[in-house]
Amino acid sequence: MALGFRLSSELIAGVIVGALIGWGIDHVASTSPWGLIVMVLLGFTAGVVNVIRSANAAADKSGR
Amino acid sequence: MQGAGVAGGTRDTPRMIDPIEQFHIHKLFTIGHIGNQEIAFTNSSAYMFGSVALISLLMIGVSTRLVPGRMQSIAEISYEFVANTIRSNAGKEGMKFFPLVFSLFMFVAVSNIVGVIPYNFTVASHLIVTAALAVLVFLTVLIYGFYKNGLKFFKLFVPSGIPIYILPLVVFIEVFSFFLRPISHSVRLFANMLAGHIALAVFASFIPLLAGLGFLGYFGAVLPLGMVIALSALELLVAFLQAYVFTILTVIYLNDAIHPGH
Repeated sequence: MALGFRLSSELIAGVIVGALIGWGIDHVASTSPWGLIVMVLLGFTAGVVNVIRSANAAADKSGR
Repeated sequence: MQGAGVAGGTRDTPRMIDPIEQFHIHKLFTIGHIGNQEIAFTNSSAYMFGSVALISLLMIGVSTRLVPGRMQSIAEISYEFVANTIRSNAGKEGMKFFPLVFSLFMFVAVSNIVGVIPYNFTVASHLIVTAALAVLVFLTVLIYGFYKNGLKFFKLFVPSGIPIYILPLVVFIEVFSFFLRPISHSVRLFANMLAGHIALAVFASFIPLLAGLGFLGYFGAVLPLGMVIALSALELLVAFLQAYVFTILTVIYLNDAIHPGH
């Protein structure tokens, strides 16, 4: 359960932070909605990268 | 974050059961002023000091006999636990961060477990507290990483064996995910403590509501009471587990500073 919480929060943090940054860029540079779209996708990608990484770390530990 | 203000003067009206009232910050006394900003000693600060006092009592106050008593066992087991976590995740070099990691683990674990006791305040249920701890770890990783590895620390962001034409995108994603760490690190602990304590308070509030219904209500009230007991046990587990997760992630991040380039 701890691992599930860890992975899901990893992913959610990625998407939310991406959305916030994108929204900020749109707000400053008035490029709405492109900043939001691009940064949410990038945040999602970064979140998935983090999830894969911590899942691999967990698998390594239990395999050892 | 809720409840930076003091609970208003609605004490005389019939009280609604408010599941987030437990997170209110009260001012106990004022220490001083910086500019116009009042620096207050709050119930949160009091519980932080209390946790540190408990830890100090546990770690300094125990006897050092060859055959340990209960308290000495707790102290020794927590030492071994953190030391093993560091050794298996960051290697021998990681042990130079033992004081930091041990302090973080003990502070989070003890303040969480204190918070499970009814009527107590949970320090980690405020995002600013967990964010401060996570930023402390993040800055330690950054500063130590650059101090030890110099510019080689940037290898952390450039995985090997990536074709040159997608390298900029990958580096950007790596940097992005690096800066996500303090956020997921802090929000995880905060959200778990907040959600668990709100669930406890909601189920506990069903007990007087049902009991107020009359004779049948007494029987109905047994159900949420059982739920509260079960949830308290679960919260005790979560309190420890989240402290452990916070610690192990700290060690994993520190490992990146010690050995960059995976």
